[in-house]
Amino acid sequence: MLAFPLAGTLISAFGYRRLPGRSAGWIGTGAIFLAFLAAIATLISLQGHSPDHRQLVSSLWEYASTAGVDAKVSILVDPLSVFMILIVTGVSTLIHLYSISYMEGDEGFCRYFAYLNFFVLSMLLLVLAGNFFLLIVGWALVGAASYLLISFWYRRTTATRAGIKAFVINVVGDVGLVLGTYFIFKHTHTLDLLKTFHATSNGAFGHGRTGDGDLVAGCILLLVGAFAKSAQIPLHTWLPDAMEGPTPVSSLIHAATMVTAGVYLIARMHPLFQLAPSAQDVGAIVGAATLLIAGTIGLAQTDIKRVIAYSTMSQIGYMIMGVSIGAYAAGLFHLMTHAFFKALLFMAAGSIIGAMGGEQSLQRMGGFRRALPFTYGCFVIGGLALSGIPPFSGFFSKDEILLVAGEQGGWHWALYVVGYVGAFLTALYTFRLIFRAFHGEPVAEARELEAGHLHHAEHPTNPATGELEDTDVGFPGPHHTTAERALPMKVAMSVLAVGAVGAGLVQIPKTDFVIDNFLKPTFTDAAAYETHTRNGLLWLGLALGTVVGLAGIALAYRIWVQRPAIAEAARVRFKPVYELFVNKWYFDELIDALVIKPTAAAGRFASDVFERRVIDETIVGGTTGVVRAGSAAVRAVQSGFVRYYAAMLVLGVAGVGFYFLMQS
Amino acid sequence: MTFLLATAHLKGPHVDFGGLSPLIALLGGAVIVLMFGLIGSQWVRAQLVPALSLGALGAALGLTIWQWGAEKSIVSGALRIDALSLVLNLVLIAGGICAVLLAWRSRAAEEAAHGEFHALLLTSVAGMSLLASAQNTVALFVGLELLSIPLYVLCATEMRREHSLESGLKYLIVGSVGSATLLYGLAMIYGATGTTDFSGIAAKLAAGGVSSDVLTLTGIALCVGGLCFKASIAPFHQWTPDVYEGAPTPVTAFMAVTTKVAAFGAFLRFFDVALIETQSSWAPALAALATITIIVGNVGALGQSSLKRMLAYSSVAQAGYMLAGIVVATKLGAQATVLYLVVYLMMNMAAFATIVARERATGQGDSIASLAGLGREHPLLAWPMTLAMLGLAGIPATAGLIGKIYLIEATVDGGYAWLGVVIVLGSMISLGYYLPVIAAMWMRDASAAGALPRSGGEGPLPALAGGSAELDEQEPRVRGLQLEVVLVAVVAGAATLFFGIVPQPLFELVRHTGSALGLL
Repeated sequence: MLAFPLAGTLISAFGYRRLPGRSAGWIGTGAIFLAFLAAIATLISLQGHSPDHRQLVSSLWEYASTAGVDAKVSILVDPLSVFMILIVTGVSTLIHLYSISYMEGDEGFCRYFAYLNFFVLSMLLLVLAGNFFLLIVGWALVGAASYLLISFWYRRTTATRAGIKAFVINVVGDVGLVLGTYFIFKHTHTLDLLKTFHATSNGAFGHGRTGDGDLVAGCILLLVGAFAKSAQIPLHTWLPDAMEGPTPVSSLIHAATMVTAGVYLIARMHPLFQLAPSAQDVGAIVGAATLLIAGTIGLAQTDIKRVIAYSTMSQIGYMIMGVSIGAYAAGLFHLMTHAFFKALLFMAAGSIIGAMGGEQSLQRMGGFRRALPFTYGCFVIGGLALSGIPPFSGFFSKDEILLVAGEQGGWHWALYVVGYVGAFLTALYTFRLIFRAFHGEPVAEARELEAGHLHHAEHPTNPATGELEDTDVGFPGPHHTTAERALPMKVAMSVLAVGAVGAGLVQIPKTDFVIDNFLKPTFTDAAAYETHTRNGLLWLGLALGTVVGLAGIALAYRIWVQRPAIAEAARVRFKPVYELFVNKWYFDELIDALVIKPTAAAGRFASDVFERRVIDETIVGGTTGVVRAGSAAVRAVQSGFVRYYAAMLVLGVAGVGFYFLMQS
Repeated sequence: MTFLLATAHLKGPHVDFGGLSPLIALLGGAVIVLMFGLIGSQWVRAQLVPALSLGALGAALGLTIWQWGAEKSIVSGALRIDALSLVLNLVLIAGGICAVLLAWRSRAAEEAAHGEFHALLLTSVAGMSLLASAQNTVALFVGLELLSIPLYVLCATEMRREHSLESGLKYLIVGSVGSATLLYGLAMIYGATGTTDFSGIAAKLAAGGVSSDVLTLTGIALCVGGLCFKASIAPFHQWTPDVYEGAPTPVTAFMAVTTKVAAFGAFLRFFDVALIETQSSWAPALAALATITIIVGNVGALGQSSLKRMLAYSSVAQAGYMLAGIVVATKLGAQATVLYLVVYLMMNMAAFATIVARERATGQGDSIASLAGLGREHPLLAWPMTLAMLGLAGIPATAGLIGKIYLIEATVDGGYAWLGVVIVLGSMISLGYYLPVIAAMWMRDASAAGALPRSGGEGPLPALAGGSAELDEQEPRVRGLQLEVVLVAVVAGAATLFFGIVPQPLFELVRHTGSALGLL
């Protein structure tokens, strides 16, 4: 399975001169599709095992087992990883397909598919990793792939800067993951995941929910890794900026797959988290805070992709909260439905952006309903699923997380309430997006499109800054397209739309529990992995979810369709709040003031004083001086005269002999 | 009739032909090759002779593998066939095969009349094999001379190039001093212990009384000097750069790898078996020598413009790393040294094959500038060279790293952690001369290299006595790639990469070499 994306990467990377036209795209898509088929085959063979034996470890080869570290290249196939690879390869196939049209005409077409295949390879490595060693490798490779793809248009300064930001924050997460691994390894003495869990349940950290200090520290450090990868507060600021990448990339990496790695990590490490309640609480609170804050920011953003990005953060907040309170199946179920509808939303957004000739600002959009009927339909389906309107998929998955929160009672009621407030905000910002982009007066581009001609800007510009660009390599290509005009895009979106509508049906409360049952072998030891018992709460939740979602849509309709003046009035009236939202709660500024400025100051001090005086002049200068002098000395002795060589030999022997004689 | 009866009653000593078979194959091959070299046909000399020597090496390889797993002493205890000698034999023969391939179309083989060249090569391999399995001091010395004397000649085989002759002469003179030192040392140890047998010496030393004797200690010191000379350990290394640079490149490649293998084999057996009782007195001395070697080798390699000279210093530094595995005198140490020798073979062969190819293609000698633009022009050569350089520097995903980690682990395990630190520091300095080579290949244009003057040693050739003017025509530059050279480069480079990613087979290979010595 890993071989297919690897082959795709290598072919696209090394054949970029020879591959004609769009063949790299088809090769890439085919490679991922084969991986998807392999994933299905894995699923079938896994289902052939009895439920108790559905955790298979296979070791490809042993990298090094030395000094007590068993670093094998082993993969773990169990329901959880199969679940993840199905989502990853499935959605990736569609997005590769979409990209063939979307990236057509871009100068870096082959490079794009090489990166994209490389990403899928890394992601599969991450979810299939059978030990911490490989997990960390996959984790870091995914970060690197993300960096490459965000900065794909490498001549755009905004894109490269966003890439660097994403990479740096991801490295913070990598450090957290590695350090967390150390804490756990210290007690379990193994890197293998299953052996770690086994050791844990055998009391490597003491018995019961002891809250052992090292375990809690390890889990919280793992959480730092999860937060960075999944864009949770306060390590979330890279995700909106990551929208500088091509839209299919946003769709694949920054919505459907990579950002859910944090959720996967917590679910994978559940035997550890179960024993560290305080780490679980941290996860739940951060998830809840993120879902709320990201929802409010989403209300005020004007860049269409950024709104969806904040929505992603908010939805992942739900998942993190879910897996942190023990609602593993629900969290992963939401992960799956979210992958469908969020990828769909991004693709639809990409279609509008194509229609606008690369423009991304909501302010300039409007009235695309008639010009882009297919995109409109997809966007509405995605939006309804996101807002949690029955019977769309998001409805079932989101409510299930909140149901578990409500069932557990205690302070988890607060999470329950926050979740529904978040749901209201979700509906509000989603339909703000829909109403502003598709309803109202058609803008010039929409009219042009209705007349049958796709708008292309006279001079391509950077949508973020308005700088002029050309269409050569390193910038977006000259070609734009919409879903209506490109069959691959249409196919990809249709499939996802079906998923967004129907994916929720696999797990309807009280009727079927496909996901629950499928994932059960992984989570047998999870205390809270039980189906729900309290009927009243279930019905309340379902009703509440529907009402809240509809209320949000209604409010959005009222504000942005019926009375556009309300928005303006509200903006003026609640200026401080609006400012807060527009400026993303000042998180960038906060990080800037708290981390970047002091670090930069320390760095400047270090470079001006320490570096120059101490390092450069004394240590480096001294060392290079010594080495250089040594080099000269060695060469000076190397005179070329045999008599000197013989003399040196005799001298050397005399020296060694002298040493030995001193011993006698 | 009576004569027949007499011989029937005479019981000859038991000869284990199985154990001796690789040596027999090599020496028999040398004789056959020498014979065929006398045939007048150009085709026989230029093609059949190398093919026959490959055949001899291949037979020796097969016979070595046939002996796999054997544990026995042969020739009345003079030689030992065990995991250590078999693994080292494999490495030696692999090195020999590479050398034959590299020399196939070389000027050196041509000028030395192919038969002689290859016969000398095979004899030298036989000597090394003997040295690596020698179990008494006489066999040790015979092996040493059997490997050295053909090498002295091989270095001078490009008879019309001054540097080659100089290199051969220097090696001969300094080498004789080295051999004399070793012989003197062996004699003294014999004098002190009264035996030439390694285990006999060990028993005598263990019995006490002689281990702090002046005679013993002086003997050990002289042996250290002699063996260090062969392994080019500083300060006994000085012949190395001159000889490596001057010798024909295929010979340099052969010498750089196999001499070290043989010398370290002797080192392991002599110090870890015969002298193990006096480990506390020789280990600090060897540790100090290893440190000096690592520093001198790495520092000396900086700023060299000749690739062969740079690799000579690099080989000095690498010898220092390997000596660290002997210092600790543990099972792990012996395994680490052997593992590093295996890895060292791959990396150096990849590098030297590239140099051979470049020398023939550009006629520019072996300056680093001759590699410029190679990445674009011949990626099949540039990649192995890149991997070799990265491997020698110990970059992850190459076998070089695995070798170094194993050595460092051995030093830490054996109580010489500071020596591990020295290895790391040495590797750090070594980046300073390995990376420029990579930069030259990938970042510089070939056009810049074309404008460079040809190196001094490549001037018009002096006439050979009895040679004709036509014969003295310059060898035409080779256009394109020579298959056998590229094959060596690619296989060695690929092995460097492969064993960096999947090192387990290497660990398996060396697993029993330590226990063969009876170490803890």
